[in-house]
Amino acid sequence: MKGLLALRRIQHRLYTDFDALCHMILGHAPPPALSFASPAETLKPSTPALTNVQRLFGDSILRAVPKHRRTIEKRLKRKFGCIDDFYKMLMPRTDLLTCNQCGHSYQRRHLCPNCYKRVKDETTEFQEVIEKELGLEPIEQEVVVLYKGERTKQPVEGHWNGKRIIELKREKPSWFCRNLLQRTTIGNSDSKDVQPSELA
Amino acid sequence: MNQAEVSQLVSKLRIRINPRHKNLKCPEGPQGRLNKLRKTVNALFKYERLELNYTLADETRGYAERLISEAIRHGDTHKPTMEMADYWIEEKQLIHKLFKVLVPRFNDYQTSYTMLYRAPKAYPEIVYPRSVLELRGNPFPAILPQRSDQRNFIHNVLLDEAKKAYRAEKYEEITKSLEEQRDE
Repeated sequence: MKGLLALRRIQHRLYTDFDALCHMILGHAPPPALSFASPAETLKPSTPALTNVQRLFGDSILRAVPKHRRTIEKRLKRKFGCIDDFYKMLMPRTDLLTCNQCGHSYQRRHLCPNCYKRVKDETTEFQEVIEKELGLEPIEQEVVVLYKGERTKQPVEGHWNGKRIIELKREKPSWFCRNLLQRTTIGNSDSKDVQPSELA
Repeated sequence: MNQAEVSQLVSKLRIRINPRHKNLKCPEGPQGRLNKLRKTVNALFKYERLELNYTLADETRGYAERLISEAIRHGDTHKPTMEMADYWIEEKQLIHKLFKVLVPRFNDYQTSYTMLYRAPKAYPEIVYPRSVLELRGNPFPAILPQRSDQRNFIHNVLLDEAKKAYRAEKYEEITKSLEEQRDE
């Protein structure tokens, strides 16, 4: 129903505008349609041009429009952005490297996101455990965090001397280089030296 | 003439200090800035590794270094040093840590006491640069991976020696075979 009404309104406006336009250009009203002649009716005098223009402006909608053409610099900047500040085109990045450790790519002079994520997770867990353990007492010792089963591998007296040991309940993650931290020479071993073969 | 040497007054830090401070966004003004820095210095001594905005981390680093170096120079019986530690460290159990744990740890260091890394960025997002600030010698897993491509790394030393031994063996074999050919 509403749509119909709107259509009607538009139709009406078109008609009135068209009449006014014709009047302005041609100087008279469009030719009248056929009708029955009646003695009572008299021809209306044509309205003056000025009032017609006023009617035209009063009926239609006028909007603000650009007065000047935008400069080429401004148009180009809007289109492509600024190369130093905010460039809108796609550009190849040349500052990406591949991590030697995990193979993910990272930004030059930054940390590798994959490696850093692992370290960060581990670190936050350590920090939580340490904070919980130490509490509000004065801290007077270095803290060592050990994984499950690590304490038995090292002699407690000599190695962690004067350090406070905090143990985690899980084993060391595999990405930690385990072999380098293990002691290989404990006393005299009876093993015979094996020469490496098939090298180079 | 009668001027005291600057190095006698202030300890020389092993990090680069910018000639001008970095601006931190702070509605409370200079006092707010100090409060912010105090909070982060305290957190650094507590957690030993933090992820912060780059500017804040860089500013904090200088204050933390200065505090540690003063503590190493003067010890805990020096009144101004203790007052400074009292101001910068809000959780008082950490003052014990500064003088009893960090001073022995960093006493023989020839490098800076802290490290600053640039944290990775999430690619398409435009964000403020983040960084990781840590005290050296902390109990956490190392941030930078162990480099296996260095010459003095134990694996590489052993492999080099093994290669040498192998080559010497081969040369001996070759000379032997040559001598045998000559004899024939």
